[in-house]
Amino acid sequence: MTPPPPATAVADMAQSSPAFQDSKINRDILNPTRYVSLPWLGLLLLAVLGVGQAVFSLGYQTYVGLGVAGYQAPVFWAVYIITFVFWIGIGHAGTLISAILFLFRAKWRNAINRGAEAMTVFAVLTAALFPLIHIGRLWKFYFLIPYPNQRGLWVNFKSPLLWDVFAINTYMTISIVFFYVGLIPDIAVARDRSTGLKRVIYAILCLGWQGTSGQWKAHTRTVLHLSGLATPLVLSVHSVVSWDFAMSIIPGWHATIFAPYFVAGAIFGGFAMVLTVMIPSRRIFGLEAYITDYHFENMSRFILFTSWIVGYAYGMEYFIAWYSGVEAEQTSFFLRAFGPYWVSTWIMISANCIFPQLLWFKKLRTHVPTLFVLSVIINIGMWFERYVIIITSTSRDFIPGAWGLYIPSPVELSILAGSFCWFAMFFLLFIKFFPIIAITEVKELAIHEKYGGAH
Amino acid sequence: MPTLLSVFDRPQDVAAVVTKLKGRGFNDLETYSPAPFEEIEDAVDPRPSPVRLFTLIGGLAGVVTGFAMQIWMSLDWPLKIAGKPYASIPPYVIIGFELTILFGGLLTLVGLLFVGRLYPRFRLDPAYSMRFSAEEFGIVVTCKDRDVSEVDALMRSNSAKEVSLVDA
Repeated sequence: MTPPPPATAVADMAQSSPAFQDSKINRDILNPTRYVSLPWLGLLLLAVLGVGQAVFSLGYQTYVGLGVAGYQAPVFWAVYIITFVFWIGIGHAGTLISAILFLFRAKWRNAINRGAEAMTVFAVLTAALFPLIHIGRLWKFYFLIPYPNQRGLWVNFKSPLLWDVFAINTYMTISIVFFYVGLIPDIAVARDRSTGLKRVIYAILCLGWQGTSGQWKAHTRTVLHLSGLATPLVLSVHSVVSWDFAMSIIPGWHATIFAPYFVAGAIFGGFAMVLTVMIPSRRIFGLEAYITDYHFENMSRFILFTSWIVGYAYGMEYFIAWYSGVEAEQTSFFLRAFGPYWVSTWIMISANCIFPQLLWFKKLRTHVPTLFVLSVIINIGMWFERYVIIITSTSRDFIPGAWGLYIPSPVELSILAGSFCWFAMFFLLFIKFFPIIAITEVKELAIHEKYGGAH
Repeated sequence: MPTLLSVFDRPQDVAAVVTKLKGRGFNDLETYSPAPFEEIEDAVDPRPSPVRLFTLIGGLAGVVTGFAMQIWMSLDWPLKIAGKPYASIPPYVIIGFELTILFGGLLTLVGLLFVGRLYPRFRLDPAYSMRFSAEEFGIVVTCKDRDVSEVDALMRSNSAKEVSLVDA
């Protein structure tokens, strides 16, 4: 038997609910999920069409065989591997923003980390398709996994290609876990503000999140530990990818600098991709108050810095080729710049080393259209970097009699175009259904700013 | 037993009230907050989160699995590759490392779900409402009937915006 509650409490109960005003942060950030905007729909349609044509090409290649790719002896690693390395690299900037900048307590990342993490997940999902497309017989991909079989065979653990299988799968899994863990409290925000089927789906996805102290404590610890794990992981993944090349003895590939060179290139290209996707998203959904020019400027500083590391690596490659005294190396590098693939080499150098120098000027760092164009140029440059590394090296190996020329076939180009559409499709769907900015992290900063307190 | 819900604007107030409540022996309490605030979490429970144990166990399990798997599989069908020992440790470090991260990360996720008691559900706590995923903070205290007015007074004297009884 309960006694009547104190008068004050009863009065409050009556007052509470109806006049409730939702916070501005929630309204602004969830706004894109509330309506279908025309530019969004148009882009999604384009992306789906692009994926469709690539699926057709892939079906054709699978049916007819790998001959429809432009492979010519001695070049058997081509657009698929280039595109694989490209997309894996794109993913790295997202992990850098979400994990490494988190560990460094760089608070400015809060506004962009969700978009960057989403980009990571979708880039890795795109990249993971390419080894399968590259092996041609898609249905045999499970040979890559060590599984018990009647022949008693196991995979070769001394091969960098197998290291890559483990590195990529780990990276994909951990990126998805990291992304999802960060999303849980934000999905709960969306759940509380939706009805019907949407509410049911959000309620399942957010796992009954209520923001209790125990949940927050476990959550912040989880994010910290995942960051601690993801930081060495991201450095290892592109190192392992680089060893796919560096562990062989092909001139142009056999270099110890490859691991740091690839990691820096990945971060460089990845930041450019963050700009490429965030600038239009911000514009379409009117999120200028959260993703400010300050964020773009910080990212362009990263781009400028990593551009110098990449430029140093390019220079060092040439120096070592000359200094080694190995004729095959020297010829390989001479032909990079002045041989049949000179165009791609000069695209790479100008897009990755020369154009980014514009970012020395603050005017240009804060001028959004310039940044967008520059980020697209860098994306192209980074794709060509892998083109140069892979194609020029394999096509000009030891014996001139074995040299050959490679030209991408239409099937390969169609699948390459499809990969961009596949990535765009996932990203567009994501921004329609989930908050593109980490609501709770922005709120944490806002509440601190409003009331002060520890930090 | 009656349950009281009080609503606050500032995280510092929540932390202060929780400390006072615990000081007076009201330990059956919970907070709702729109974002993580260390001061609140430590006021409710100062012990470190057990999630770290999950990460550690996962990581150790991963490194052991990685090396054990590679060494056993190499010895199960011995193939001489590049004149190296069958079980050659340096190249195995890479997959050992990757599995450390993989298992560590996955078990950290399990830790979060377990420690935070997260599972798909539609019925939330009766005291929870969407204002706590906006910008307000809540404290829920379950106390004996005779203590209701004491708790109510304590909340109000510490800048609670409102205090109400929760229908269980």
